[in-house]
Amino acid sequence: MSSPLFGKFRSPDGKPHMLGAMQTLDVPMHRYADGEEVDYAIVGTGAGGGVLAQRLARAGFRVVTFDAGPFWDTERDWVSDEKGSHQLYWTNRRVTGGSHPLALGENNSGQGVGGSTVHWASFTPRLHPSDFHIHSLDGVGVDWPLDYADVRPYYELMELELPVSGPAYFPWGDPHGYPYGAHPMGGVGDALIRGCTALGIPVSAGGPVGILEGSRADRPHCIYRGFCIQGCKVGAKASTLITHVPDAIANGAEIRANCMVSRVALGSNRRVNGVFYFGPDGRELFQKAKAVVIAGYSIETPRLLLNSACDGFENGLANSSDTVGRYLMAQAGNVVLGRFDQPVRMYKAPPAHALTEEFYETDPKRDFARGFAIQTVGPLPISFAKQMMSAKGAWGWGLRRLLMDYNHWASFGLLGEILPHAENRVQLADEKDQFGLPVAKVTFNLGDNDKKLIDFGKNKVMEVMHAAGAEEVVQEARYAHLVGAARMGNDPQTSVVDRFGRTHDIANLFICDGSIMPTQGSANPGLTVMSLAARIADYLIIQGNAIFASDKRDMQTSPIRYDLSPPDTWGHGMPRPVNHLVS
Amino acid sequence: MTDTTARDADLRPVDPATGKPLGPMETPGYYPRYHTLDQQKFWDAKTREVILDRVNNVPPIRFFTPEQARLLEAVCARVLPQDDRDDAHKIPIVPQIDKRLYEDKGDGYRYEDMPPDREAFILGLQAIEQMAQERFGRGFLDLRTRAQEELLKALHDAEPWGAHDIWERMPVHRFFMLLVKDCAENYYAHPYAWDEIGFGGPAYPRAYMRLERGQPEPWEVHERRYEWEPPNASLSGEYESVAGQEEQYGSPGQGGTH
Ligand SMILES: Cc1cc2nc3c(=O)[nH]c(=O)nc-3n(C[C@H](O)[C@H](O)[C@H](O)COP(=O)(O)OP(=O)(O)OC[C@H]3O[C@@H](n4cnc5c(N)ncnc54)[C@H](O)[C@@H]3O)c2cc1C
Ligand code: SF4
Repeated sequence: MSSPLFGKFRSPDGKPHMLGAMQTLDVPMHRYADGEEVDYAIVGTGAGGGVLAQRLARAGFRVVTFDAGPFWDTERDWVSDEKGSHQLYWTNRRVTGGSHPLALGENNSGQGVGGSTVHWASFTPRLHPSDFHIHSLDGVGVDWPLDYADVRPYYELMELELPVSGPAYFPWGDPHGYPYGAHPMGGVGDALIRGCTALGIPVSAGGPVGILEGSRADRPHCIYRGFCIQGCKVGAKASTLITHVPDAIANGAEIRANCMVSRVALGSNRRVNGVFYFGPDGRELFQKAKAVVIAGYSIETPRLLLNSACDGFENGLANSSDTVGRYLMAQAGNVVLGRFDQPVRMYKAPPAHALTEEFYETDPKRDFARGFAIQTVGPLPISFAKQMMSAKGAWGWGLRRLLMDYNHWASFGLLGEILPHAENRVQLADEKDQFGLPVAKVTFNLGDNDKKLIDFGKNKVMEVMHAAGAEEVVQEARYAHLVGAARMGNDPQTSVVDRFGRTHDIANLFICDGSIMPTQGSANPGLTVMSLAARIADYLIIQGNAIFASDKRDMQTSPIRYDLSPPDTWGHGMPRPVNHLVS
Repeated sequence: MTDTTARDADLRPVDPATGKPLGPMETPGYYPRYHTLDQQKFWDAKTREVILDRVNNVPPIRFFTPEQARLLEAVCARVLPQDDRDDAHKIPIVPQIDKRLYEDKGDGYRYEDMPPDREAFILGLQAIEQMAQERFGRGFLDLRTRAQEELLKALHDAEPWGAHDIWERMPVHRFFMLLVKDCAENYYAHPYAWDEIGFGGPAYPRAYMRLERGQPEPWEVHERRYEWEPPNASLSGEYESVAGQEEQYGSPGQGGTH
């Protein structure tokens, strides 16, 4: 059909593989032969796995990356439709419980190349320097085995590789600026700015968000269609599917889609030697590898380790500390909705386009530690209906009436830090999935600090909504962004991996996704997951064959590689003072 | 005591200005003559295919028995009433729920205190039927609308008067949320519902351009508001939170947002 923007579309069948409206995947993909040993088998192609595979491939390693879901062709597979996008989410069986059970499914993680970055809203704030030391500073949670300074250069890399649009000056945490210009406001962003301004709260308008505000290379700019959480068919929103996976393939990595890894195999000398997986036809196969990296998200990563229990690791692979699956975190993600007299039409513009981190840090005047952010969100009709069910108990004619008013509502999201608790965890349930593998059972309870933070935070967000001029303000409880469950630390007794993602128990087994985060701050985790992945990559690259041949742990931090970015990313964008980067 | 036999005379929302019931009509709501489907030539091919399939092909009933399907129809007619829509523009809900359960699809996860969705629906329907018999001495299908609503309101309030053996196996508020969720997921997936609420629908590759002040695109229409009231006698027009949670944090939102 003809399109006012892009000219004639190619017909979907038999035509090039599309990654967004313009970018095609036209390099042939290397395929390793059956039985061939590779350097790295990576499980998962999401935020962590996608970036890691790209870097390892660029550095010349032989890499196979598995994903349980499809290799999306965005033209052929994706739709501008809420219900029709259900396939993007991880919807295999799972069980959820505890005193505050987490909604999973579409609320949590993805399945398919690109992982959850396919359906993330693409808010890309950094953690604050304080987030790395909350135990020392506030006596809660745990300190990271890293400093903000260790991660900062990787944030700068990722902000160019996605790239991130945002204001020239971002005042919170470690103040910094963004390489690409901020986005225009939609109705929800306008409301956030109005409300914050009325209360004297600074607000960041138009980002930081991994969405193009102007076209770059083969990626068109955002067209403000509001379907980010359904996958961006345009290719304006960053996902590892379109930002890093193509470069991984161009550099020789093999992406094995529709392949569910069932078990990491332990060989001799307490070293792993590959992974078992169910291929697209359902047969169980084995891939031999010199080292294995798990990047399957905070539920599937611990599940895979637990399912890989074997002689010597009866409680799960790399679980001598009994920490695998524990300290699972989710952020408080309450949605606050306000009805305005004037229409808002919140379905336009990306859901993610303005935020404030004014309440991020611990404030001694409050009766809880740590803090929260306030962000724009833009539920489409089905999500909005579900929110009204929770927020107002709406059903029947009452639900119909509220939805008839859909265009008058705006919504903000609370994003609050929930502390790590040992009892918040992923375990194996008795029931099995379609492969016969025990499914994950997720248990989640709020602690005292968490409840106080949520109460304060949601009231503050409601206050902002009122100040924006809303006549009626309601809210629903919600939790988002699972991280943790295989945390990093210096002490092998209380953590699963060291500060380079290497499991304490097994020298050639690594974890490279959100699971390794010891605490989460009030920043959406994606950018941090990617930055940690780039850092882990630099370590693996400099270690080279030592990873494959020796159990010795070199704890030396490696120099940053500025030559591994996908083409035309690093060094582009607005010039900013980056003196400390000149090497 | 409610008269359980007679049918209600009119189940349609009322126009307070005239006191007359509204409809049946093609497009309820405040956006008269707005049709998202008119824009289909501006949608990408895949989106058009998926949405037209939803509109044109109503799936056959394969999971529920005919009796169960009829019962669920009556339940959904109160959970997401469509009495103000003309027959040509009623939105099929039960066939879509049936399809989901037949294919055993959905969000994949279940609450630890809940059975899997298939079982939950069967148990829920049984409980509804038992409660109808217990209080009114007849099946749910044969109840007057008001009595049907009383029964569903009891589930909403987590105060079922019967079928306790079933509600012990399945928390009533979770079943109620599941039921409303499935109805809403299908009703608001339909272009006719988009017309009702003034949602622009798919906008790729064309884009939205008027981001400010809630303005309609050139091809959308302005809202034309009037007072709208649910049917006078209906119990579902009021808002009270779904009961049965130990505390306010216990009923997490299920839609992904940020
Ligand atoms: C609706 C929604 C909105 C969000 N918005 C934001 C946002 O605005 N900003 C932000 O920073 N974050 C956001 N997030 C969260 C963010 O997307 C995730 O935190 C991030 O992608 C996690 O990265 P990961 O590498 O841990 O896992 P993922 O990106 O989920 O990748 C894991 C991959 O591993 C695969 N996998 C898992 N197990 C196996 C196995 N056994 N075999 C083979 N493959 C396997 C999965 O299929 C998946 O593709 C959002 C999430 C949701 C649900
Ligand atoms: S709003 Fe922009 S980034 Fe989001 S899906 Fe649409 S075009 Fe993509």
